[in-house]
Amino acid sequence: MRIWRPIVAAAVLSLTLAACGSTDTPAATPTSAGPWQFTNGNGEVVKADKTPTRIIAHAGEAAALMSFGIKPVGVYADESVKTDPNLKDLDLTGIEILGEEWGKIDVEKAASLRPDLIVGDWWPAEKAHSGLEEGVDEKSKKLKELAPVVGVSQGKSIVDLAEGYEKLAVSLGAKVDAPEIAASKKKFSDAVEAFKTAVASKPNLTVLAMSPADDKVYVANPEYAPELLDFQKWGLKVVNPDKPDPGFPYWENLSWENADKYQPDLILWDGRSYTATANAEWGKKQPTWFAIKAAKAGAVASWPAYWLHTYGHFAAELDKLTTAIKAAGENVGS
Amino acid sequence: MSSSTVRARRALALGPGLAALGAILALVAFASITLGSRDIGLSDVLRALFGLDGDGSIEHTVTVDMRVPRTLLGIGVGAGLGVAGAVLQGVTRNPLADTGIMGVNSGAAAFVVLAITVLGVRGVGVYIWFAFAGAILATLLVYAIASLGREGATPVKLALAGAAVTAGMGSLTTGIVMTNVDALNELRFWQVGSLAGRYAPILSGVAPFLIVGLVASLACGRALNGLALGEDTARGLGQRVGLTRAAAFAIVAVLAGAATAACGPIVFVGLIVPHLARFICGPDYRWILPYSMLLSPIVLLLADIVGRVVARPGELQVGVVLGVLGAPVFIGIVRYGRLSEA
Repeated sequence: MRIWRPIVAAAVLSLTLAACGSTDTPAATPTSAGPWQFTNGNGEVVKADKTPTRIIAHAGEAAALMSFGIKPVGVYADESVKTDPNLKDLDLTGIEILGEEWGKIDVEKAASLRPDLIVGDWWPAEKAHSGLEEGVDEKSKKLKELAPVVGVSQGKSIVDLAEGYEKLAVSLGAKVDAPEIAASKKKFSDAVEAFKTAVASKPNLTVLAMSPADDKVYVANPEYAPELLDFQKWGLKVVNPDKPDPGFPYWENLSWENADKYQPDLILWDGRSYTATANAEWGKKQPTWFAIKAAKAGAVASWPAYWLHTYGHFAAELDKLTTAIKAAGENVGS
Repeated sequence: MSSSTVRARRALALGPGLAALGAILALVAFASITLGSRDIGLSDVLRALFGLDGDGSIEHTVTVDMRVPRTLLGIGVGAGLGVAGAVLQGVTRNPLADTGIMGVNSGAAAFVVLAITVLGVRGVGVYIWFAFAGAILATLLVYAIASLGREGATPVKLALAGAAVTAGMGSLTTGIVMTNVDALNELRFWQVGSLAGRYAPILSGVAPFLIVGLVASLACGRALNGLALGEDTARGLGQRVGLTRAAAFAIVAVLAGAATAACGPIVFVGLIVPHLARFICGPDYRWILPYSMLLSPIVLLLADIVGRVVARPGELQVGVVLGVLGAPVFIGIVRYGRLSEA
């Protein structure tokens, strides 16, 4: 699941040390020139004779396309489509669900949909599209043989991601001048302004994106978390960990003995495991969790980790963070 | 010099050897409290241990609330695994016997995922009890299946039953985690085999079982020596073979079950250490058992210390370290040592 991807995939990797060697060449690019083309996240130009209409998309990518009126014929998600943050509020009638677990895609069913395009984010750190990464079932990876795979790069910004999928939607024939699309963009730019204002009023506030787990504490590396890079760009001091795991640079791994290595004023808690009571529970379970002053002070907020794709979702999450930043103290961690 | 004098000399040296091992274990345990992924000065560690510092400092928390229980757990679990392996190798007369092939690990794993999926249980503190129950159930099942038939639980039937139960439990686990990613996530943490993240509650939970099992095992030496001569000879010497086997299996189930429940499946300790002990002591189980009991925690704690210092500021799980270091050691024993038949 995209959700747990940076964690689960790490585990899968470490357990299958020898499973490397699969060639992660992105889908073969048709050589014949045609009227449709799109610059893939890895920089390659993907072309087709005619504009694709039967699209299979990964969860968040499907949500992005649907926000511009492009409805895929099938989606594959990393968890139940009823709980996937990208899909749970969407009307999925008429769309085949091809997977509801990370790394598992029903390729047979996918083939029966006769797709002419597969859409999944490009992950630069793994050099693979969503659904084709290391750790995914070999059988599921055959998805790439059904049609060309394209996706916007999970690069440096969610804004780039949203714009990239807007471009893809336009290339697929979407009309993006509809009033509700404009309204959604307006809501987003308002949310960004409010966020910037809140951040500017707390110039010394530092935040750290974290995900506590039973055996260790994960500290997010903003370089591979586009939403954190966006926050930094808008002025928020998101701490950069100084020793990310070289094999899986999404995180720096801290043993529980070293949980207090960083002392932020506010903890951005991995939204996939965040609950209202999580902080108190971890404080009880791990002797050193409350050695992080922000945790002890209860200064925690949910961080929408690795799933955002649309202006609408980003706006809603930004509003929540703006509220948390307004309530945060600048000297909690000092 | 007759062979009996050699044996007597050896026995004379074994007692002090045991004391020396005890001293080494104490040293390793001290190292395990002073070394870790966090740098804490020796003086801070000592102050924390003797309660001379305030309760609030992080050095105190790490030393007293994390490293001390972790070290004690390492000693208990290590001793439990080593002795369980030695008893199992003796009772099955199979030098490759290991708690893993008697279904302990697979039974524990199956119950962990069942607890997660069916009962919605979360957190290592709760599901160790399910792991314990699963380990015991699997061991009993292996023993019961092997006992069917006139000649009782012979070594060959035990090995076959162990393989069958392991396969059955394994496919149950796989079947569940394939359809439930939550279970996979929880199992993932438990399944590596680690001393990290477990503190006083887990230690105090499994300690009584480990202590009872270890004490009981020390009374088994003579009976295992008898079994080693072959069942007919043992019977001829007046030993009740069935009873010995049942008692030995009960001890293995309790020790390996508690150890595996607390820390996940830890490989190699139960397999290799009894061989090391046999290498030192010869075939007498009255010595092999206490030697295994002291050697195993030394090995486990050393591996854990290595895992803690090689990947700072993170840690490597002890199960991983043992797998990486244990395989070549085992090959070395097989290749160059005399892998004495149990």
